[in-house]
Amino acid sequence: MHNIDPISKLYYILFAIIIPIILPSFIVSVICVALSVLLLLAAKVIRKTLPVYSFVFLVLITVIVIQGLFRPGNETILFHLGPFAMHKEGLLFALTIVLRVTNIVSAFMLLVLTTKPSDLVESLVRRGMSPRIGYVIVSVFQIIPEMMSTMSTIMDAQRSRGMETEGKLLVRMKAFIPLLAPVVLGSLINTKERAMALEVRGFNSRNPKTYLNEEKTYSYSKWIQVAMLLVTIFAVAWRVFL
Amino acid sequence: MNKQSMWSWHFSTAALVLIPVAVGINYIGKLIAGMLKLPLWLDSIGTVLAAMLGGPIVGALAGAINNIIYGFTDPISFVYAITSVVIGLVVGILFYKGYISSWGKAVVAGLIIGLVATVISTPLNIGFWGGQTGNIWGDALFAVVLANTESTWLASLLDELVVDVPDKLLVVLISYGIFKGLPQNVVQLYNNNDKVETLD
Repeated sequence: MHNIDPISKLYYILFAIIIPIILPSFIVSVICVALSVLLLLAAKVIRKTLPVYSFVFLVLITVIVIQGLFRPGNETILFHLGPFAMHKEGLLFALTIVLRVTNIVSAFMLLVLTTKPSDLVESLVRRGMSPRIGYVIVSVFQIIPEMMSTMSTIMDAQRSRGMETEGKLLVRMKAFIPLLAPVVLGSLINTKERAMALEVRGFNSRNPKTYLNEEKTYSYSKWIQVAMLLVTIFAVAWRVFL
Repeated sequence: MNKQSMWSWHFSTAALVLIPVAVGINYIGKLIAGMLKLPLWLDSIGTVLAAMLGGPIVGALAGAINNIIYGFTDPISFVYAITSVVIGLVVGILFYKGYISSWGKAVVAGLIIGLVATVISTPLNIGFWGGQTGNIWGDALFAVVLANTESTWLASLLDELVVDVPDKLLVVLISYGIFKGLPQNVVQLYNNNDKVETLD
């Protein structure tokens, strides 16, 4: 999976979202989720998906409970949960949501966990995305760690001056500004120098840009994309004629 | 002051450099809010500041890129990219028209932005989560309203409203405070009036 064109993975996300819309049935959604999970397994990144899945499932459990108990149109009672009754209609609706969310999240994770952001940006720039926007995206990954370390310095500094960061809500709210403002002001002031540094190096030059890395060749890109297109056409035909 | 049109797609380098910083500020805001266990997100301060400094297009771009990059750690945020884009646009327009120029006006602007964010997010919540937001207080309200009124839309709207309006109000006020604290030479950097003053 790590050697597949990032663009193909982008198409796969689109594919995984569109197919259940064309063919809205539980079986199709389950197949899509299973396919993504199998690919995640094949890519050996399933372990990294666990924190994301566990967060998503936590929210989904509340969806199941609330929809099962209170969804308008609930009629058929399945079983009782304390003083409340669980309903079949609400649970079925919750199941569609669970499948939809798991499907989208899995497809995205396939891209995110097997692709370096800089590779993705590079392939997009080669396909005609503005290199300036490409720079913006890549530089986010540089700036965040920089700001994090500034923030921990400021946090230590403010604490040593006696700022309280624990206790009542009001105390904690008061701590927000003195922690945030110095980082924000500092980084906004730094933008001036960064902008000048870039302009001096020809950031605004209109000549075509060259690349630092050679273009990677990815195997099977065309086949994967054609296969997904065929399946989509087949799904549309199925929906229209059957 | 005669500025270049606020819809200009000609970004200065400074405006482009502002975008990653905005994303960073959003992230730091969210991080500090989480660390102090505040019940709000406070994760759009950067987008609002970018829109104030660079105009609606830069604000919208900052919002979009912000959610796309968050999406790399938490795929759900892709869905809410639309909300972020609209927040950037609305703040940019309000600020450019001079509706965020005092604390009083900033409160009104914050309420407007909170309402707009709610209106955009509610259909997304309904489509994606069946109406919930993932915030404990909002979802508890969602359950109560759903049990009493039989209306998913009303429940979902209120769910989002109680979280989003206070959140965006605070975000706009904090951003306005920071904006006022910025040194003039930084603000000047983004004033696209291209007027060069010489001393001779």
